[in-house]
Amino acid sequence: MTNEDNNTAEYNSTGNETVGRRTFLAATGAATVTTSLAGCLGGISGGGDDVFRIGHLGPTELEMGRGAERSAQLAVDELNDNGGILGQDVELLSEDTGGAPTEGERVTENLIQQDNVDLLVGTFVSEVTQGIIDFVAEMDVPFLITGSADPDTITENHGEDYDHYKNVFRTGPINSDLQAEGMAGYATYLNEEYGWENFSILADDAAWTTSFRDILPTQIEETDGLSVVHEDRMSVETDNFTPFLDAADSADADVVFRFIAHGGAAAFTSTWAQNEYPFALEGVSVPGMSPEFWDATEGACLYETTSQSGAGGVAPLTERSMDFVDAYEAEYGDEEPPSKPMYMGFNSYDAVLFYAEAAEAADTVDYESDLDAIVDAMLDLEFTGAAGSVSLYGPDSEYPHDVRETRTEDGIISNFPITQWQPDGDDGVVECVYPQADATADHVEPEWL
Amino acid sequence: MIGQLLSILVLGAMISAVYALVAIGFTMIFGVGGVLNLAHGALIMIGAFAYLALTSTAGTISLPPIVGFVLAVAITAGASYVLYAGLVSYIEDNIVITFLATVVVALLVTEVIIIRFGASPSQLIPVVAGSITLEVVGTRIRYVELVAFVVSWIAIGLLWYYVTKTDEGRSILATSMSRRGAELTGVDLETVKSRTWLIAGAFAGIAGVFIGTLQSTAPEMWLNPLALAFIIVVIGGIGSIKGSVVAAYLIGYLETASIEILGPSFQGVLSLIVLAAVLLVLPQGLYGRELVHE
Repeated sequence: MTNEDNNTAEYNSTGNETVGRRTFLAATGAATVTTSLAGCLGGISGGGDDVFRIGHLGPTELEMGRGAERSAQLAVDELNDNGGILGQDVELLSEDTGGAPTEGERVTENLIQQDNVDLLVGTFVSEVTQGIIDFVAEMDVPFLITGSADPDTITENHGEDYDHYKNVFRTGPINSDLQAEGMAGYATYLNEEYGWENFSILADDAAWTTSFRDILPTQIEETDGLSVVHEDRMSVETDNFTPFLDAADSADADVVFRFIAHGGAAAFTSTWAQNEYPFALEGVSVPGMSPEFWDATEGACLYETTSQSGAGGVAPLTERSMDFVDAYEAEYGDEEPPSKPMYMGFNSYDAVLFYAEAAEAADTVDYESDLDAIVDAMLDLEFTGAAGSVSLYGPDSEYPHDVRETRTEDGIISNFPITQWQPDGDDGVVECVYPQADATADHVEPEWL
Repeated sequence: MIGQLLSILVLGAMISAVYALVAIGFTMIFGVGGVLNLAHGALIMIGAFAYLALTSTAGTISLPPIVGFVLAVAITAGASYVLYAGLVSYIEDNIVITFLATVVVALLVTEVIIIRFGASPSQLIPVVAGSITLEVVGTRIRYVELVAFVVSWIAIGLLWYYVTKTDEGRSILATSMSRRGAELTGVDLETVKSRTWLIAGAFAGIAGVFIGTLQSTAPEMWLNPLALAFIIVVIGGIGSIKGSVVAAYLIGYLETASIEILGPSFQGVLSLIVLAAVLLVLPQGLYGRELVHE
């Protein structure tokens, strides 16, 4: 399973096997020639042949990465069915970063220097994104971030040296500063619905939760009557959550916002549910986004919520959402998990199609000579993807090249949907509960409250 | 403050009982056969995953938890016996080879479990659902924690009775004290070893189900219990069952106290400091005298 030979599978899927292999050999040959000439020509762009190569980066041994890889493949298939990008066939090369910065750097170097990719999409772990970003900026290959959400990647790079980092973009999810603002809006909504006033914030001790630890408390307390009564950070090694939940309980929390991305989330959820702690469990749980989380927790995840781009594939966020989910389920529904694309899948799918549309508008994919034209086309593009509408912040904004949040008429951030596990007979089902415009069901409180 | 102390007292008692099970199996195998079984953690993992496969509502079998528990323990005991009879018995004279082979087995089991169950953690159905709130103490106890405590102590009690009151059991104790002496009094070494591996496996199976329920069931879950077994056994005295129980409670309380007072990040730190101190000051451990060096 961990040794899935994705590349071979993808070469084959572009045509019948013989042709696929021959194209592969030709392409490899061309790549070798290009690489060996690169020293003389001073460039390594893969523009010499008729194939547009996309490098996908993600932890593909995890459900999140596998969903993203498959979704990128669906986008590539869709492009090839419609004539490719500017007449070029599109090919996906997927690499497993293992979620580790060192491995991420190695595979990124291979994709750029040996495979001559024309576009990079992906990266899930913020530390991996930060590890490769300088190299990618140096090489000028357009890079669309589709998984990690930390704002520093943008503010500390584009904010400092825009020209150097102008080939790097994030097309989704919205960065975690904006997510924190969205979460504060959600806290106000919970207060209006249930009168809950006391909030606890429990965050993984990792880069992606910085905004939730630093910004969210202040933003929650800006609403009259709401207070943050308990805050703590949890080591990613921890799998004993009783002390944290006891502390939130003794602080009289009505809601625990937990921000958790590692496997311990299942133990967290079970500890909460089996002990029937008297508060709601909300926030962001990356393992909790898995369509298979119900089985993994034996149903203990009932009533817990998580925010996730794409709303778990259950809500028609745009006219594209359900077509994409249906295509994913038709292709991969019977294979190993995840049975739905998950959030990074939505973003990777959107990123590939977004770039294709920008390239058509710029009428070039030659990033070595025409990077500015490509960048301008991307900044001008208003794109409707499966996860929502994608448009990017310009060079002079606070988050250059980062995806913009969308807002409702009341100013509430709307591309930050919240899903909840709800009862469905003996089973559980994911429903989108917030924002109300996209909701497929009302939020329900745990029955023991 | 009193609430915190009570909470340490109660939670520590629960988890220590399970730790004792982990360590006893490990120490018995070393005491009797001189084998450092690094696959002991893998046996614990087999217990948890066997229970998962048998009881999971998403699975094909979905047995009632109690039945699944008994079967999981039996399967782990069987796996432990197979490990001994199929591998260790051929190489146990060479400490280094045994050491390496048991690590390889642990890694192999990990890979097989990743292939079969995937890398992400699962939660087990509690053998008994529900919990009680201890208002005075300021914590909650799941019924499954109480069950873990009771079952562990029953198992330890039975083992105690077995090794002190029955001839079969006493031959295990005798072998762990002096192999040559035991042989001279007519003890069949092979039978004793096989029996020891079966008992150690059953204990690992019980511990696996409870550790898997209280923490999580994942392909890396074997490492922590193995490290714990090491620490406990060294502190308690290698080969001593009494030492393992006492040291398990020492480590269990130390961990619970550091979690409650210093925070969960400090869970393992104090145990390691104590381990280092014991190695320096009392290298044979608290009850190390039961093992006669030959």
